[in-house]
Amino acid sequence: MSALEVSQLKVSLGNKIVLDNLSLVLAEGEIAALLGPSGCGKTTLLRSIAGLIRPTEGTIRFGKQLVSFSSVHLPAHKRKIGYVPQEGALFPHLNVADNISFGLDRAEYSKPQIKQITQEMLALTGMEGFASRSPNQLSGGQQTRVALARALAIRPAIVLLDEPFSALDAQLRTELRRDVINLLRAQNTTAILVTHDREEALVSADVIALMREGKILQQGTPEQVYSTPISPSIAISTGDTLILKADELSDGSTRYLLNPKFSDAKSIRRGHIVIRPEEIKISKTLSTSSLNGTIVKIDYYGHDAMVGVDIAQEHLQVRIPGPFDFVVGESVALEHVGPVRFFAQP
Amino acid sequence: MGSAAALTLSLLAGCSSSNEQATEITELTIYSGRSEEYIGTLFGDYEKASGIKINVRYGDSAELSAQILEEGSNSPADLFIAQDAGSLGAIAEAKLFTVLPAGVAADIPTKYIDANRNWVGMTGRTRVFAYAPDRVKVLPLSVADLTKPIYKDQIGIAAVNASFQAFVTAMIEIKGRPFTKTWLEALKANGVKLYQKNSMIVEAIDKGEISIGLVNNYYVFLVAKALGRDINVKNGYFTPGDVGNLINVSGAGVMASSLKQRAAEDLINYLTSAPAQQYVVNLVNEYSLLDGAKAPIGLTTLDAIGAPSIDLDSLKNVKVTQDLLIEVGLL
Amino acid sequence: MSTTLTARTKNSPSIQTTSSRIWKVVLNLTVGVVAALSAIPFIYLIVRASDKPIPEIAELLFRQKTLEILGTTAGLVACVVLINVVLGVAIASGLHFVQLPLRRLLIIPTVLPLAIPSYVFTYTWIALIPAFSGFIAAVFILSITTLPYIILATLAGLRRVDGSQIEVARTLGLNYRATFARVVFPQIRGHVSAGALLAGLYTMSDFGAVSLLNVDTLTVSIQNMYKASYDRSAAAAISFVLIAFSILFVLADEKIKGRTTQNQILKSVSVKTALIRKQSFRISVVLVIIVFAVIAVLVPFYVLVTRFVTNPAPIDWAGLLSATVSTVSVAAIGAVIALLLSAPIAFLISGKVSAYGNLAQKIITIGHALPGVVVGLALVSVGSKLGPLYQTTFLLAFAYALLFLAKSLTSMSSSLERVPIGVKDVAATLGMGPWGVVRKVIAPIAAPGIGVGTILVFLTAMKELPATLMLRPTGFDTLATQIWSTSSINQFNEAAPYALMLVLVAALPTFLLSRPDKADRTYLQESKESLSERS
Repeated sequence: MSALEVSQLKVSLGNKIVLDNLSLVLAEGEIAALLGPSGCGKTTLLRSIAGLIRPTEGTIRFGKQLVSFSSVHLPAHKRKIGYVPQEGALFPHLNVADNISFGLDRAEYSKPQIKQITQEMLALTGMEGFASRSPNQLSGGQQTRVALARALAIRPAIVLLDEPFSALDAQLRTELRRDVINLLRAQNTTAILVTHDREEALVSADVIALMREGKILQQGTPEQVYSTPISPSIAISTGDTLILKADELSDGSTRYLLNPKFSDAKSIRRGHIVIRPEEIKISKTLSTSSLNGTIVKIDYYGHDAMVGVDIAQEHLQVRIPGPFDFVVGESVALEHVGPVRFFAQP
Repeated sequence: MGSAAALTLSLLAGCSSSNEQATEITELTIYSGRSEEYIGTLFGDYEKASGIKINVRYGDSAELSAQILEEGSNSPADLFIAQDAGSLGAIAEAKLFTVLPAGVAADIPTKYIDANRNWVGMTGRTRVFAYAPDRVKVLPLSVADLTKPIYKDQIGIAAVNASFQAFVTAMIEIKGRPFTKTWLEALKANGVKLYQKNSMIVEAIDKGEISIGLVNNYYVFLVAKALGRDINVKNGYFTPGDVGNLINVSGAGVMASSLKQRAAEDLINYLTSAPAQQYVVNLVNEYSLLDGAKAPIGLTTLDAIGAPSIDLDSLKNVKVTQDLLIEVGLL
Repeated sequence: MSTTLTARTKNSPSIQTTSSRIWKVVLNLTVGVVAALSAIPFIYLIVRASDKPIPEIAELLFRQKTLEILGTTAGLVACVVLINVVLGVAIASGLHFVQLPLRRLLIIPTVLPLAIPSYVFTYTWIALIPAFSGFIAAVFILSITTLPYIILATLAGLRRVDGSQIEVARTLGLNYRATFARVVFPQIRGHVSAGALLAGLYTMSDFGAVSLLNVDTLTVSIQNMYKASYDRSAAAAISFVLIAFSILFVLADEKIKGRTTQNQILKSVSVKTALIRKQSFRISVVLVIIVFAVIAVLVPFYVLVTRFVTNPAPIDWAGLLSATVSTVSVAAIGAVIALLLSAPIAFLISGKVSAYGNLAQKIITIGHALPGVVVGLALVSVGSKLGPLYQTTFLLAFAYALLFLAKSLTSMSSSLERVPIGVKDVAATLGMGPWGVVRKVIAPIAAPGIGVGTILVFLTAMKELPATLMLRPTGFDTLATQIWSTSSINQFNEAAPYALMLVLVAALPTFLLSRPDKADRTYLQESKESLSERS
């Protein structure tokens, strides 16, 4: 029984189709990342799941419960979904504690219970001591934490996060993201995280769904999506990419810059291959049979480096691990060590 | 006001024998363009004497007139009292007044009553020139004199004021438009000063800004009262028959849609009775319209003034006047 | 800490359930009813004007005098608005950005003119300077009367400007003037425009001041038509010129608002700018406010009190008390009715782009230029057909609501816009049905702004005269009608107690208007704190 099942969802706004026959399944406790450029419909999908938008066609199920299907539409306030929108959207007229306890029905919970849950949430999100602060006294990261606490307080089946870390600086972003994901995992919460940051998606999610123009183009684990993208543009979405012209030959092999086959085999198809920068190895050992290039730039990141190599009028970016002793201007031999992902020209 | 009450009772007694309705009525609704200051006490006295509750709606005569025209036959008013004949004329023209029987306001001279007996005059006021007696040695005999050089820069008028405009209307009516236009232009060339209100003209004379002003007869009295002291201003009249001596009246008419017409007519009789008239004379320094009535303090009697003869209904043609004043540049 | 600017996504669809569909239909219907009610004066004018044949109307509208009057009115409005914008923005900015002693007290005189009717202002200045009249005098008086609108509107806008932007601008080398011109003003432009709109429409509709000062505006001309020629058709025709003018104004305001940079602070990391402590600034702001206080508050008070004291007339205490009670009660009812009438429209236009809601809003705003005498007569025309409902306090309160609906609507919509994006949606996901969202989220956030609008209507209703005279129950006196009746026969000393009482009664609500609300108080408090930190 999946925690969330979205099936052939279609959402039109006016004449425009925003979500086009979209399907997505999540098991309980899974964290999915929706990755895609702005305007591709990520937020719309989230809002549809939350019940804030009424889809044109398709079904949405939470576990056994059908929440959306043609005329059946469970309103948002009955869905018990945790929603953390992009803007945080804390209630400005309430302090932190009241924000967090906002969704707790005063009829169901007693005052001491509410207090206790609020305290729990504050602790979970690292916001103890902030209970009586006003939202406009909080920093961006603190606001995100409170927004998350508020969403989790109602013990939702699913949590939807819409680019919650986008307004933060890099360090804070990483820390906060780690805390949030850990929290979600600890609570075994099913969650969907919308992001345009590919590293964020890769590191946080169990499932990555790549969206473009209202469709999910590829869905899978981070490894699947990273290593076996179904198109060059998908590859670009998930990581740094090198795209080289290539030919598929009659003997089944592929000819490209780093594998220049000097045989008579004819080219049966033209296309491109997709290589990840870390899949190219460089060495100082040059030979007449090796592919040789010249280092023209080195960007050092501490844990690794991106080396720009000029070879045969092409410029390739190669990722090499941390300690190295290459210098700019040096000649190096290049070798492609990795899968050959060929995509024929349409 | 005991005598007024007594007179009221006698009037009522006289009327009720022929009008059973009057005794059944418990209240009357009046729209009054005369302010509460000037007429409120009279209503109060009538109320006490007759037992009829008087509901008065005070306002500006012209605006009340417009309101009545809007309300039409749905108007709650039984009686409309206006400060000037023009407002009454507008209602008469719209045929919203009833024709008053001959016995109503029998003591008011016919020249102060509407030709079709739609309304009757109640009190009168005359146009005068107010002047500073120490500075004006040669008094003007006619309005035409005001264009003379000896009065240069010394004259004040309130061109926006309804009474001044009524006077100009009378001049157009009697002397014709070309004459009036010439006179106005000459007045302007003679450095006439414009004021918003008649009271301000009188105050200006007292202060020495100007020496002569065209106002209504009661302003000297009122300004002195408001300032709480004597002022250096007196009233003067032009020669009898001069258009500058225009007499305008306040008056009343009974609404045709009223169901209490007899009672309303009764009230008119009361208001035009001698004691009521005298009250107004004393309070405001206006004129009573009754023959032989005493003139207000410091003023000549109505008949002695020698007002120009004019159909008061024609005073409602103020629009022509305003256009002329605009043309000449005084408005 | 960074903030991002994002345009408000007005087209994001919201909750769409069956019950909320019914809610939508009801809302739309209510808006329609309110718009129809607001259209009563327009319909009246059309009916009246059609009594006249078209060639006559054309002749009337295009004759020299009408064009002159139009020019005078346009000139008057232009001057008043210009002065107000310059002065009002300057004063409001001074109050907001400069460190001032007794800041809370300094705000009060700038909004106190709201308590004083324009005709009372005019009376007192004429009493002081008998020669006081004419165009310049009218500009003077009307500027004083309407300045509070701009000041209040600008202050509301300033409180939403992000302090960090100002700091960045300063570090980029811009001086105060440049920072204001290039960073602050573009963001408050919409608010200033809204205030200017109210000021301009009021100036067009004012009768009391301009008539006393002998300035021929369209309103005076309309009044004269009624008085001089008892020609209601002509008056109606001239009213259409007023309406046309008003439409231009409203369109201009819309254009200006459209270009304002939308600043929805995401995750409002509010950096408070340090208050300016430059001595020259402090002195000039305080000086300007003191001068204004003298002109706009002290002079009227002084004249009223001395006129009364030097020639005291006996005060009718019972009458004074009853007039006060009448004034306050009917104005309060009117303010409440205005609130109820404007709520559905404000709600509709704040949620998403609604052509229907915008049309309703425009009708109301355009009608705001109509003088009281026109609206009064329109309601007389309709009301006299309503039998017992005619000339009741309810109808009068309704007239007030209709007359001043624009004020209520403006502050209500701007206060609804204070509700941050996404908050309504989040509230829904947290289990709040549509009504719960309104009660627990929208209402508390928008309440202060709604309060301001209601108080404004209340204050203006207390001062209203022409419609009151026509529609009040017979014998029902307000302070305004008493002032009018005692001063029209030039017993100004008799008017003084009523005028003073009016100002006194209006003082408390006016004071409330000048106080910042809770959110702004936090802001101001922290501005002070950050100031002491930096020093």
